[in-house]
Amino acid sequence: MEIVSLNQISPDQVIIWSWSFIVINATIIYTWLVMAILVVGSWFITRNLSSATNVSRWQHFLEVIISIIRGEISEMTKKGADKYIPLVGTLFLFICVSNVLVVVPGFVAPTSSMTTTAALATCVFIAVPFYGISRNGLFHYVREYFQPNFIFFPFHVMGELSRTLALTVRLFGNIMSHEKVVGILLAVTPFLFPVVMQILGLLIGVIQAYIFAILSMVYIASALSAEDEVHHTETKKEGVSA
Amino acid sequence: MHIDWFVFLAQIFNFLLLMYLLKRFLYGRILKAMDDREAKIVARFAEAEELKVKANDAAELYEKRNQLLNETKEVMLNEATIAADAKRRDLMEKVRLEVDQVKARWQDMLTREQDAFFYDLRQRAAKQLYATARKALSDLADVDLEERIVDEFLRRIQALDEEKSIQMRKAISGGGNRVTIQSAFTLSPPKQALIEEVLKKQITNGFTIRYMREPDIVSGIELRVNGHKVAWSLNEYLETLVESLTETLQKEAHAT
Repeated sequence: MEIVSLNQISPDQVIIWSWSFIVINATIIYTWLVMAILVVGSWFITRNLSSATNVSRWQHFLEVIISIIRGEISEMTKKGADKYIPLVGTLFLFICVSNVLVVVPGFVAPTSSMTTTAALATCVFIAVPFYGISRNGLFHYVREYFQPNFIFFPFHVMGELSRTLALTVRLFGNIMSHEKVVGILLAVTPFLFPVVMQILGLLIGVIQAYIFAILSMVYIASALSAEDEVHHTETKKEGVSA
Repeated sequence: MHIDWFVFLAQIFNFLLLMYLLKRFLYGRILKAMDDREAKIVARFAEAEELKVKANDAAELYEKRNQLLNETKEVMLNEATIAADAKRRDLMEKVRLEVDQVKARWQDMLTREQDAFFYDLRQRAAKQLYATARKALSDLADVDLEERIVDEFLRRIQALDEEKSIQMRKAISGGGNRVTIQSAFTLSPPKQALIEEVLKKQITNGFTIRYMREPDIVSGIELRVNGHKVAWSLNEYLETLVESLTETLQKEAHAT
């Protein structure tokens, strides 16, 4: 008996439509579904926002989520948290909703596809130098790769690549493995135990969303703080020489 | 694991699109609403703080005014008390004065009534005494009272000492040599002649005598000349009677 079919290993394998190199598979479809839920839900809730003290419950719900994201980012960047909310918040919401919707029968989380997690990690990989350069300039950012001396340049590059790879594999591994474990358990021990595993899966899904978002912010913040440290050191040197 | 590069790029595009859409429909609006609310709350707090400061100022001002009012009230109360005391004293003084005046008027009136009473008493007593004495003398000694009065009067003239006689003489000459003799009863011509003779003998010659009947001279006779007088009447006895009576009445009044 085949416990898990080859197609079930990743939604990438489920091709809906293809023409030449253009492929529309289940990953993209489920991604669109999650995007639609997020965008339509946000639009629906935020179409009648109130800045008064009496607000709707859904607005409260969204404000709580955004406040938590803002607070987490503020703890790391100290200032200018709103600038990073679109990236970090979208990462968290997309991954979280994707993972939570797993409880819906027939839904496969796009995050269980390595293509998706790699795309998200790539976005973070690009965002780190983007925010670093936009804040401190290209020279200061590139110079950081040669600290404390040029020998460390390859290690810095390897660090960037490895942590991107780690982001990719961590999320993909957790979600994919969970789905596979639940599938296997359903075949081996039906009834109660898979339900417990599903509940655990929800918790893991939310935790993974949080970890992905927080690590992304940590990477961005480390680039920013490293630049800040360079600035502070230079300022101190100038002060001493003066 | 196989990675489809088209799907990979599509997922990056999808993520960026989602980021844009959420920024537009979620983060921007929610953050704006939160910031607006925060600003409103801050403004309200600032307003509340300002109002609190104003309220504190107002309370302080009120407290000061209240204190001032209390002090003013105290001062006014003291002034009013002093003024009321002064007014009370004035009124008491005025009342006391009025009472004194009323009392004085009453005492005056009482004195007048008393005088009138004693005058009347004296008159009645004199008449009664005169009548009684006259009747007693007539019944017991067959003697006329008027004659005895004239005799007593003449005896008094004769009893005048030298100095008094000189004074009388001077008075008569200073008064135009006129002598007035007043009596409560009509003097008979023999008595008038006797009086004239005694006067001429005792005092001086060369004067004219004018006799007048005066019922107010209580049962007596008197000689008046330019401020000098020789007389006899029941007045002396009546005075004693009145004094005795007055004393008795006063004792009675004090007893009650």
